[in-house]
This record gives sequence, structure tokens and C-alpha cells, in this order.
Amino acid sequence: MSIRVKLPPILQELSCGVETCEVTGQTVRECLEGLEAQFPTIKDYLLDRQGRLLRIFGIFLNSKSIYPKELDTPVQENDEITILNFIAGG
Amino acid sequence: MRGYTGKLLRINLSNRESHIEDIPEQLMKNFLGGRGLAARYLYSELNAGVEPLGPDNKLLLMMGPLGATAAMAVSRMAIVSKSPLTGCIAKSIIGGNFGAFLKFAGFDGIIVESEAEKPTYVHINRDKVQVLDADEIWGLDTEETQTRLRRQHGTSTKVVCIGPAGEKLVRYAILLSDRRCAGRTGLGAVMGAKKLKAIAVNSAGPLSVHDPQQFKRLVKEQVKGLNASPRRIQMTNFGTSYMTVGFEKMGLFPVKNFQQGHLEGIERLSEEEFVKIKVKNSGCYGCMTRCGQERRVTEGLYAGAFSEGPDFETIWALGGNLANTDLASLVAADSLCDKLGIDTISTGNAIGFACELFEKGIITTRDSDGLNLTWGNHGDILKLVEKIGRREGFGELLGEGTKRAAEHIGKGAETCAMHVKGLEIPAYEPRAIKGYGLIFATSNIGASHMYGRPREEFAGTKDRFADEGKGEDIARAQIGQAAQDSVIQCSFGAATGFTPQLLSELLVAATGFNEFGDPAYLNKIGERIICLERLFNVREGFSRKDDTLPARMLTEPLKNAGPATGQVIRKLDTLLGEYYDALGYTHNGIPSVEKLTQLGLGWVVEDIERFVK
Repeated sequence: MSIRVKLPPILQELSCGVETCEVTGQTVRECLEGLEAQFPTIKDYLLDRQGRLLRIFGIFLNSKSIYPKELDTPVQENDEITILNFIAGG
Repeated sequence: MRGYTGKLLRINLSNRESHIEDIPEQLMKNFLGGRGLAARYLYSELNAGVEPLGPDNKLLLMMGPLGATAAMAVSRMAIVSKSPLTGCIAKSIIGGNFGAFLKFAGFDGIIVESEAEKPTYVHINRDKVQVLDADEIWGLDTEETQTRLRRQHGTSTKVVCIGPAGEKLVRYAILLSDRRCAGRTGLGAVMGAKKLKAIAVNSAGPLSVHDPQQFKRLVKEQVKGLNASPRRIQMTNFGTSYMTVGFEKMGLFPVKNFQQGHLEGIERLSEEEFVKIKVKNSGCYGCMTRCGQERRVTEGLYAGAFSEGPDFETIWALGGNLANTDLASLVAADSLCDKLGIDTISTGNAIGFACELFEKGIITTRDSDGLNLTWGNHGDILKLVEKIGRREGFGELLGEGTKRAAEHIGKGAETCAMHVKGLEIPAYEPRAIKGYGLIFATSNIGASHMYGRPREEFAGTKDRFADEGKGEDIARAQIGQAAQDSVIQCSFGAATGFTPQLLSELLVAATGFNEFGDPAYLNKIGERIICLERLFNVREGFSRKDDTLPARMLTEPLKNAGPATGQVIRKLDTLLGEYYDALGYTHNGIPSVEKLTQLGLGWVVEDIERFVK
């Protein structure tokens, strides 16, 4: 099952500039494992030590927010996962 | 004219008189409100060389044209003066409810002049203004001060006040209202020097707008956007605490007074840990985000500690920067800073400075009143916070700010003082996001994270490690922030649904000023504001030589900071040149006569002609 993942520019520091890639998986979490296989260490910047999504990132499936259960959301053939980063301050 | 009240309250503390004056319409159109309008009044009314803690300095509290309306996240208030910490223009923006109720009382702003003979406070009851004795509340902390004034004038009374630190002229004392602060640049000390403990207001809304139907439609659109925004949900759930762990991974989080970028045990300061002690949300007038996180410690050494916070900056300042990962101690320290009335950023930075001096043997327990200032020693960190806020012992020296403290200590202490123009650097490692380095260096108030943000570098659309090619982006960021601070629009609100178009339409619907419908017009206002702020500083003798960073940022490669390891700001001169070019400033960082004319600031040329070379 082929899923397309779009990376935010800040993560492209770790993907050598690759903006979009194809992965496989049944859930978003499995897709991120696929991402890690292509770009080792990228998962370290997406997840904390307990394997939870770091809150500076948000995940959208086919342009819709899947907060707050991003990682456990099932995916289907030809879905598109978009990762965005949220930066605030103060 | 709607949105604005069009009235300014001027209070003279020495003779206890006040009067109301009209704000000229052209000033509103040229400077918008809040920070811009306040800077315009301050520049015109203050002579160069005024002592910041003397009677000739003025304190301005100014609202924007959208404040107190039904629009979301726009009811903040700008506080502006000359800073006792930097000698530059000072600005800080405060949330809470006070500003909205000031407008309900009929005023867009207040100018406080002169100084009182004895402790006083001001009470505004609709259009009745009284300067009253404050003997009963002088010396009280900020929480007790607000409680007493509400008891005196009614539970709906809104208060802005200082704590013991402001009274004792700690150079980074704050103003506080509810549990929100105007934290930076020492404005609380200005208020304390005037012996003004508080301003209390009783009033009732609502405020009218120019086109109520259109305004209502636009607010609905804004609310719809906010409601659906995942980012807004993040802020409601976690406040800014969600940034800590991610930022550390990216090398953006300074540790041990900017000596490294990795904090062992940072997961103990994650947003999930803070959620465990969360009591409820709180927020400002007219904001559905309610990003405030009220937290209470229920067990251990700090059981009972309660605070609306700490936010990301404070988690850094009193946590990461001091290698302190004891979460409960951060709640206690945050609460203590608020009650005493000191800026958590400058306080944490100053303590980090002291810890590094201690580590290097430049100071010992003989200098620190016996405190063991080793990294992460939260017990003694809290004791030092108390000493700073009360200006006792070693705290008296640190309360002068890191710049003055370093000059006093000598012996190489200057190399450990992390400030720009005297204002302590906040929670962003300049070497890991060099656009922020340029913002800190050129900011007219010193190293502030609220003087523009390198958004493209955070997003990754621009290379955060690049040594050049940032000047234009940073100039644009500072211009945008100045306009935002004049609306006054919350920085978090900006990231949760506002578009430039929606903002412009709201401004037109509120005020009836069609000029505000053009985002380019608002940008020109922003550019005019940062230019005038720079001119204020030029008159005080500031120039390119002051637009710099601590030597550590320019010469020491960043250590142990993940992808940012090894970074250093190699070409500050190049970046400054780009920035000055983008803004039409001379090589020496001074606005050119052509630029002043273009911005409609020709009337200041005479003031600064001698500085333009």
C-alpha cells in the first residue's frame, strides 16, 4: 500500500532536501517507520522517547487534521500524509 | 471615528492632577495605536538624556483600535517608556483584562508623568480619576495588591500593579495584571521610581465600532478559523510548554547560560508532565484560546506551589538555562517571580550568569551569600530569586542586570554576560537560528524574542544556519511585529487564524479608516515605528556599535546541540549591512534623511542631523 508523505521544510534538513516520499503502512505510525527507513534519525525529531508525536509537529491526512490520535490513525492506498511544524513563542 | 475612544488620560503624580486630551486623528492613522502611538508620544515628549528612574521619564500605557471589541486576541496593552536596564526605548505588551476595561472607561491610553512624593495608586472610575495614598499596599506582593484593591473598589476592578521588586527599583521589574505580565525592559522599576504602586479601573462596556454588521461577520469568520485550528488546540491544551522538547532536539534551546544545547533529562519538562499538574485554563479578555495553564504542585518539597505557568520562556529561563529539570521547582519559581514582580527571562538569565561565574571560580560562596550556585540546584536558585526580587545581598547586584553586574565583578565576567544593549537574551540560541541572532542584535529594545521572529527559518523555508542573506527577511519581520504590537494583536493569535486580509478588514470595520484596508499601509506604519524607536536610541547615542551580540555567539562554536552543533555567527557585519540596506539606514545604522522623509518623519531630522554621517 503506497502512501505519500510530505515533509515540512524544517525536516528536509534531515531528508537531504527531499520534500515528498512514498512509504507503506497501515497506520500513520507505521508510515513514519517507513520514513525512518529512508531517512535514518528523522524519527528522533518527530517523536519523543516514549514514541509520542512531538507537539511542535502536526499531522494532516488528506489535508484534514487527525489531532489528537495522529499516530494511530489508519491510512489507505494513495492517502497523503502532510507533516507541519507549529512554532510559537513567549 | 470608532474602535478608538480618541481620548488620552494624562496624570501628573507630583500634583495629583489629571486631564483628558484628544488624540489627533492623523496620529492614529500614522501610528495605529499601542506600541506605535506610545512611541510617537514618548519621542516627542522626552528629551534626550533623561534619567530612566527620574521624574522626567514618562510611563505610557496604550491600547489599540481593536482592543475591547468582540474580535479575538486583540485586547492587549502596550507599555512604553525609557528603560532603566538598557537606556533605550522600552516596550512590553501585557495581556489580561485591564486594557479592555481602560477603553470601556473611555481611554485609549494613559501617560503617567513626574513622580509622587509618597506611595500612591490611581483609581479610574469611568471618567472620575483619583490619585490616592498607597501606604496600605506599598510593600505587598502583586497578588495581595490586586486582592486588596478589589476589596476596596469592588470585585470587578481591574488592576495593573508592581510588586516589591518594582518598588525597590530592580532593573528588570515588571508590571502585572491578573497573572499576565509586561515582563521585559524594566518598566516596573520606572513605575516604582514614580512611587506608583498600581492603577485600578472600574468601568463597563461595550465599545462601539464603525460598521457593526461587517465587524460581526468578520469576527465570526475569525472564530470559525480559530475553532478549527489544530495550533489553537495545542495552545489551549498545553500553552507554549509544547515547544520545549522539540526545540531542544533542534538545538534551539540554550543550556547552562548558552554554553551548550543539550539538557540531560529534558523529558521531565515536557508538556505531558506539565499537564499532570494542570488545574484549568485561563486567558485574556476577548480570547477563546485561553492559553494560560494554571498549575498546582500537590506533593513534595514544593507542594502547594501554584502558578499560571510556567510558559516556554520561563521553563527555559529557570529550568533549561540552569540545568534544572525539577518541574515543581519551576512552578514555585514562576509564582515567586510573579509575586515579587520580576521578569522570569532576565532573572533566569542573570542566575545562569552567576552559575557560570561560580563554575569558573570567578565568584564563590563568599560572594553569593553562601548559596551553592551549582547547575540545577533548585533550592538555592529559589533563594536567589527571592534575594533578587527583594534586592537583598547578592541579589542586589544581580538585580542591576547582567551587564552592570558583569562590569562590577570584572575578572572576565563580561564574557559570561548574555545580553544585548543590557537586555538579557531569551530562550532562543542565536547560533542555531541566525535570523534570531540578527533580530536580537538590531532590536531597539535589546535582546527580545518579541521584536520580530524569523518565521521562515523556523518553518525551514530559509536556511537557519546560513551566514548571510537574512537582512531583508528580518527587517520585514520587525516591521510586521511593530504593526502587530500596535493593533494590538496577540502573537499566538497571529498563528491561529489571522490573515493580513482579515486583520485589515477588521481594522476598517472597527475604525472606518479605509487606509487600514491596505496591508502595505500597515507595513509602512510598522516601518515608521521601528524607525522612530531607532531614532529615540540614536538621540541617546546608540548606533551600529551597539547592534551586536555577546562574543560567545560570534566566536565559540555551539556545543552539543544536535543538528546545530558547531554553528557560530560568522558574519554579523554582513548581516547588519543587509539589514540596514533593507531599511534605508546608513552604514552606521542610522535612518537616512531620505528614509525619514519617505516615512513622513521629516520633523525629526533636526534632532538627529548631527548623528548622520
